[in-house]
Amino acid sequence: MKKYLILIFIAGILIILVLARKPALNWSRQHVNYITAVEDHPLNCLSCHLYIQKEGIVAKLINADYLSPFNMAVSPDGSRLFVVAQEGNKLLVINTQTNKVIDKIDVGENPHSVIINNDGNTAFVSNQWADNIFEIDLSLLKIVDTIKTGSGPAGLALGADEKFLYVADSYSSEVSVIDLQTKTEIKRLMAGNNPVGTDISPAGNLLYITSRRTLPMPYGTPPMTELTVINTTTQRVKERKIFDNAYIMENVAFTPSGDMAIATLIRPKNLIPAIQIERGWMMTHGIGIIEPGDNGRIIQLLTDDPNSYYSDPFDIVITPDGEKAFVSHSGVDYITVIDLKAIRALLAESTPEMLDTYSNHLGISSRYVLKRIPTGANPKGLALSPEGEYLYVAERLEDRIAVISTEKMETINTIDLKGPSRITVARKGRRLLNNAGYTFHNQYACYTCHPDSHEDGLVYNMAGKDMGRNLANVQTLRDIGDIPPYKWNGKNSSIYKQDGMRFSTILTRTESFAFDELDALVAYIVTGIKNPPNLRYNPAGKLTAAQERGKKVFYRTHTNCGKEIPVKDRCFTCHPPPYFTNMLMVDVGTLSETDDYMLLDAPQLNNIYESAPYLHDGRAATLEELWTTYNDEDKHGVGNDMMKDQLNDLVEYLRSLRDAKYYIEDPEIYQASTHLKND
Amino acid sequence: MKKVITKISLRITILAIVILAGSFLGFKLVKKPLTSEEYPKTDQRISDKYSQGSLEESSNREGITKDTKPMPLYGNWQTFTKKNGLPADKAYCVRIDGDRVLVGTSAGLAVYENDKWRTYTVEDGLAHPGVLSIDVSELTGDVWIGTLGGLNRWSAGRFETFNQFNSGLANDVIYTVICDGKDVWVATGGGAGSYDTYTGQWGIYTERNAPMHEPWTYGVCAGGGKIFIAAWGGGVIEYTTKTQLFRDYIDPDGEMEIDLFTDDGVIHDITTGVTYADDILWVATYFGLSRYDGTRWKGYLDHDTGLISNFINFLKANGPVVWLCTDMGLCSFDGETWVTYQKKENSMEGKILITNGDDTKEIASSTSIAHEFVIGVDTQDDVIWISTSKGVSRGELLK
Repeated sequence: MKKYLILIFIAGILIILVLARKPALNWSRQHVNYITAVEDHPLNCLSCHLYIQKEGIVAKLINADYLSPFNMAVSPDGSRLFVVAQEGNKLLVINTQTNKVIDKIDVGENPHSVIINNDGNTAFVSNQWADNIFEIDLSLLKIVDTIKTGSGPAGLALGADEKFLYVADSYSSEVSVIDLQTKTEIKRLMAGNNPVGTDISPAGNLLYITSRRTLPMPYGTPPMTELTVINTTTQRVKERKIFDNAYIMENVAFTPSGDMAIATLIRPKNLIPAIQIERGWMMTHGIGIIEPGDNGRIIQLLTDDPNSYYSDPFDIVITPDGEKAFVSHSGVDYITVIDLKAIRALLAESTPEMLDTYSNHLGISSRYVLKRIPTGANPKGLALSPEGEYLYVAERLEDRIAVISTEKMETINTIDLKGPSRITVARKGRRLLNNAGYTFHNQYACYTCHPDSHEDGLVYNMAGKDMGRNLANVQTLRDIGDIPPYKWNGKNSSIYKQDGMRFSTILTRTESFAFDELDALVAYIVTGIKNPPNLRYNPAGKLTAAQERGKKVFYRTHTNCGKEIPVKDRCFTCHPPPYFTNMLMVDVGTLSETDDYMLLDAPQLNNIYESAPYLHDGRAATLEELWTTYNDEDKHGVGNDMMKDQLNDLVEYLRSLRDAKYYIEDPEIYQASTHLKND
Repeated sequence: MKKVITKISLRITILAIVILAGSFLGFKLVKKPLTSEEYPKTDQRISDKYSQGSLEESSNREGITKDTKPMPLYGNWQTFTKKNGLPADKAYCVRIDGDRVLVGTSAGLAVYENDKWRTYTVEDGLAHPGVLSIDVSELTGDVWIGTLGGLNRWSAGRFETFNQFNSGLANDVIYTVICDGKDVWVATGGGAGSYDTYTGQWGIYTERNAPMHEPWTYGVCAGGGKIFIAAWGGGVIEYTTKTQLFRDYIDPDGEMEIDLFTDDGVIHDITTGVTYADDILWVATYFGLSRYDGTRWKGYLDHDTGLISNFINFLKANGPVVWLCTDMGLCSFDGETWVTYQKKENSMEGKILITNGDDTKEIASSTSIAHEFVIGVDTQDDVIWISTSKGVSRGELLK
């Protein structure tokens, strides 16, 4: 009897499955169609739901801990190569004779750069997400000291006498001057916006520091990015060289003679409609040349070709003979070799007007580009051997170092860093996000407008049906997996929809991603992009007195006059934790004449301190302006009753907001949001 | 309603006034007037290039030297106005910055370098043409500029503007700005403010969170681990950086028209400036000068000291000497000796009044300060610069 019952049960299950198959398939089809906004995405539950797991055993099984080599330095005798493994939080030591990794030193979170002193016995590593520098004794291969810096230490430079270390603080936009006798920071100098790259002049008296983001500019004007010049004798900023219409200046290098310094840069055309992608230029990429001296020129030249762009230039090194420069293009996986003699000749024969034209001239690169050398995925940092015969290339998303002969201008070897051998789906997605191969003529990658998977601080004129309307302030990609919808107008209900067909139609003007590629891209965006710790404003979760006062303002329910604030006009109604967005559409009275009527998606506020400018069209340069300038009618929360000190406190609190994971663990804040729901 | 003035209190007040008036008259009678011989003769001119020996001789004779360090005397005045390069004659402030001099005028920031003036205006990034205060960060060399329309950081050619709309600045009218290490402090029309250049945090200090009478503040200075704020109607507000606690110093007699007891505290609640050096706090008011050594207050008025005028626009201490910008000339004081620089009416010539105790000596000078309404002063090494309502002047230490 029992046997029959089991058979009947199984038969019943089978019948139910057969009967439910069609409705289930229909439901699945509708679900997938809704999520992807297309009707032919394969019905494969695992392709979406498996790879977006952020935590747990499944997540650990499907993902891997990569090393991601980023920046490098070679020992003075050339025997060792030191590689910063950005994701692995390690400094890798490589024997350049055997091309083998001989040691791995644990360093701080998200290390950025490494520099070696002249004796080759000490290394300094900047830990970008720890706000400090590790001093490493290279004879012991041990960390011997930790030096506090400003926020987001990145590029490093040693003064000529090696008594001082200069650190580009990428998040606080300063340069820390470190006294290496006392191992303390003695001062901070204001740098450009988001400084990263450094180089000291051959004479040792000038330090050049690049920056990535534009200086704060009047609304609607092109970007303007600063290269900061520090006099290392006075330890003061000597000059601020401005690069018009350029940004993302990652690195800079002096020629050995010091007759010029060359920085990498991108020239965005963000204020003209994105239709220019098809017309040949939306994003162009190149170098900025600085002639030192009071009357030295600033020249911009492109490294692109007319029908093939070399996006996302990152690092630059110059051979000891001063004849060649190598530029890594992390968006197209190439190294460009530049003939500096040809550059010098071009500069000598050109008038200022001609040079101005060249800054947008796609054909001029044929005058000085000697060769393009292919590399592995996402080439970032470069390092030359002391005599300049070998070029080392950090292939970040390959976990590999390429060794290029500078004479032959070809790859002669590779160094396997022994990262995970398999390529996970998320890793594949990360490669896609960093690769410009999916854009018309390789003009840009997702990464170009989303450097570090964040945002580039620019406002873009997307070519909608009415060109010139609906300017869009680029939004971050960090930790956005759980907060749909996407785009300011909330039109995209999922990342699939955002990055699928619509993306290719509007942004890349090419074939859209294949389905498996889209799955991978979504997997990376959902699982792999974290917020940096908010060490500047909220290092340990304990709010300052001002932030505590600001928190009360944020959660207030009554005005200063005692009048109850309508629920819809309270800060935390639209911005509840843990992401500080309710993911709903709202009108906050900020639409301009050039906007179509629309409601706007309430943006998340975590790590908002690093997302200026603000509002959907980037009109507000600072958080203060949201309430002092763009909230006349109290539509963006009731705030006009606030005293100035209350507004300052509110801003301090907003700056303290950090990754959602901290708030998920904070019952007090959750209680506040629950209270709202009960209302 | 309770009667405020009783007969008894009225009688006591009248009695007090009679006693004070009697004392004052007595002082005047006892005080020996200078004879004509004691006054320097008007034609007793000394060249501004006179030797140190003659000055010392003169000083020793008159007894104005203090220990071995004589009171510095300045001369060889050179005046700059709109005619020779300033953007406007009205100069609110002056700051010496190494080899250059920064002058805040009503029409922009003027910079004197290599014998030339260059003007920076709103087009260059200045927050407002009216520049009221300038300070230079010793750490970074950045210039902080307080204007009538916001605060500027001027760093290696780049102007960065902070105002009450785009930042946490309390108010756009900046009367004084100073740098204290990494912090910048401002005295504004809407309260005192602080800006931590490392964290970007702003602080606002008004009657809402500090012992002030009202938010209006005129001056701010740093010294001895403290910040001192000259608060309109609130005397001096002291902020201890370490404890982040405030306390106030107000005029104990509370009188607005007269100062009953000169040394009982700050001389008046309406203060116009503060400066700190050599562990001494100096406080300027429109009603006299106050000195505070951390224990005792001492007041100085024009009628019984060498202070040329009670109306003090600004002051700045440099070591033991405090420089006072008044409506009747530039005054300096080291605790014993007063030196006043004035301009002779309708003349390019000037005069120096030296007062030590009851003795005053006048020395004629072939050059003079630009105008007697002095608004700003700064000294460095052997040079002094002052800003006045009609131009700026540069003087040299007379040796």
